[in-house]
Amino acid sequence: MIKNNNALLRDYLLSLLVPGLGHIVRGWWRKGLVFWVFLAIQGGVLYAAVLRGRLAWLACSASKRPSEYWFSTILLFLFFLILWLWAFFDIRQLARVSNAETFVQGYWQIVARRFSKDAKGLVGLAIILAVCFVALFAPFLARGNSLSMDLVNFLNPPSLEHPLGLDNFGRDVMDRIIFGSRVALGIGAGATLLNMVFGGFLGLIGGYFRGVSDALIMRVLEVVNSIPFLVLVLLIVSLWEAGVVTLIIVLGIFGLQPARIIRSEVLSVREKDYILAARAVGVPTVRIIVRHVLPNAIASLLVVTTMMVGVNIIIVAGLSFLGFGVRPPMASWGAMLQQAQEFMRTAWWMAVYPGLCILFTVFGFNILGDSLRDVLDPRLK
Amino acid sequence: MFAYAVRRVLQLFVVLFGLTLLMFALLKAMPGDPARIMAGLGATPESIEVIRHKLGLYDPLPVQYWRLTTGLFNGQLQAMTYHKPVWTVIVERLPATAELGVLALLLSLVVSIPAGLLSAVYRNSPLDYGVTTAALVGISIPVFWLALMLMMVFGVILRILPVSGRGATLFGWSFLTIDGLRHLIIPSVALSSVLMALNARLTRASMLEVMRQEYIDTARAKGLRERVVLIKHAFRNALAPVVTNIGLQVGTIFAGAVLTETTTAWPGIGRLVVDSILRRDQSVVFGVALFMATCYMISYLFVDLLYAYMDPRITYD
Repeated sequence: MIKNNNALLRDYLLSLLVPGLGHIVRGWWRKGLVFWVFLAIQGGVLYAAVLRGRLAWLACSASKRPSEYWFSTILLFLFFLILWLWAFFDIRQLARVSNAETFVQGYWQIVARRFSKDAKGLVGLAIILAVCFVALFAPFLARGNSLSMDLVNFLNPPSLEHPLGLDNFGRDVMDRIIFGSRVALGIGAGATLLNMVFGGFLGLIGGYFRGVSDALIMRVLEVVNSIPFLVLVLLIVSLWEAGVVTLIIVLGIFGLQPARIIRSEVLSVREKDYILAARAVGVPTVRIIVRHVLPNAIASLLVVTTMMVGVNIIIVAGLSFLGFGVRPPMASWGAMLQQAQEFMRTAWWMAVYPGLCILFTVFGFNILGDSLRDVLDPRLK
Repeated sequence: MFAYAVRRVLQLFVVLFGLTLLMFALLKAMPGDPARIMAGLGATPESIEVIRHKLGLYDPLPVQYWRLTTGLFNGQLQAMTYHKPVWTVIVERLPATAELGVLALLLSLVVSIPAGLLSAVYRNSPLDYGVTTAALVGISIPVFWLALMLMMVFGVILRILPVSGRGATLFGWSFLTIDGLRHLIIPSVALSSVLMALNARLTRASMLEVMRQEYIDTARAKGLRERVVLIKHAFRNALAPVVTNIGLQVGTIFAGAVLTETTTAWPGIGRLVVDSILRRDQSVVFGVALFMATCYMISYLFVDLLYAYMDPRITYD
């Protein structure tokens, strides 16, 4: 017993020294290596930030403190903190559990275990995490800012200095791609969040209460769905000088696909006996919806959310490509492709890389959604 | 069945009515004075005022709505920037989009149905992984970028296909001439990429679902050859959801056409939408949006009815 405690103390100390080291000493290779990968990536970001002098503002006098890098800086240190704490608490948890290898598993534990064995989902998650990292730490990873021009060397092909070449204004394509990830992910995630809140609300109301509200909601959905989503959004966006916020709101409100899916899910759940039982006992409606209906619809909700992010990213890119999305000086992948069209014959690098990034990111979301659909399916054991 | 069909047709009109209201509201919110656009550059304030009266922009909104909607059908509604009736503008552009969409759809079916079938039959084989991965890439790829890449590779670098435009036409159709057909390849391949991916995934899923059924076991148990089981018993039943989904894909085709046509300078309806939104030509926008919605609704309805006809197990109350 004492020996065991000593070993535990040693693992704690090792884990505090380097996250994941405790895991590896204990023989939990996979988990330890995951911590190391994160450590390496965050270390790389820190290295890049120091190399480019992005952290110099921390050493400046207080009056000069405000900096465009504060957000990424705080986030980076927060991530390091999380990594350490996570490794520490995780080893405590594992040490407790490993003594009793067999224990009752809940649905989410089964899901987590299944997911950790599904290569498809892990690849998707890795892609998404990578893009998120690039977006969050864009000012550290990019060497210039996305707007600085070089009017002497414009349209230079890829070189060591500019790995992805320069565009027609002499802006570094790689830097613009790095900053463009913020637009893509920001709008994609923001719009999807609104989709889920707004569409989810409509679907819930329609599916649970049926009757007039359902009929009304369904007719509205049919009207909105009857015209291609891209055309509808194109029209609405053209009413304003579109910006990031406008795009999020328009895509968020009119992307009503989740409403339909949630409605059908709710429809099937509401007929179940346990809902009837809850109602018979006199549980308030809101409570029934929150405690009994929603948790049962959460699996399909997760899948739809993941896929919707991909769809929204593609639509934003399409809108920007047509010239209705994010305004020119701001770097976005769709707008970069629009510019590239003109220089198709001379500057292939302007067209190839932004498109690859869209493909890569959306692929990540789709493959994760696909895997979640398999993993969350309660029929499979 | 008949009662169902009638109800569905009525529903179609309700939806279209709702859409006209939505579109009208959007167009009224659109910035830009239609009269000024119609008068063109260098118009005097008086002439703009005359056009304004002629267009009836001072009438009450319901009257304007009524004029816009009926004008579309009786051909009175003039396009603001094209100086022809909206209906004529749409009909002129229609063949280009129709041949693009149909070719893309055919191409996608020819590739995706066998691919989905094989990937379901040889489940978890390298072939299956290849098809599912390709399909995932297909739904993730932005069609306009694919079109751009095809233009660059085949048009600019290899120089075996024309980069953009429509080429020679015969009776307004390009697929009748060799030059037109060559122009058609890039946009239709780009457009079909999404459809291919969607249909392959659907065929595979549907085939797997059917192969799980008991009558497939029965067919195998009574000693039928595997090929007969797969083709006659499984595949035919698996095809129904795929066919139904084609109706839903009309919307996808239009959306894809907007992007591919703009990229490849293909003078179809998709480009017309973008152009007329940019030019603030409200009547054309109204007409095209309604036209697309009608096409979508009709094909959806048609396929639904076909489905009910094909599969006698389905009853509609």
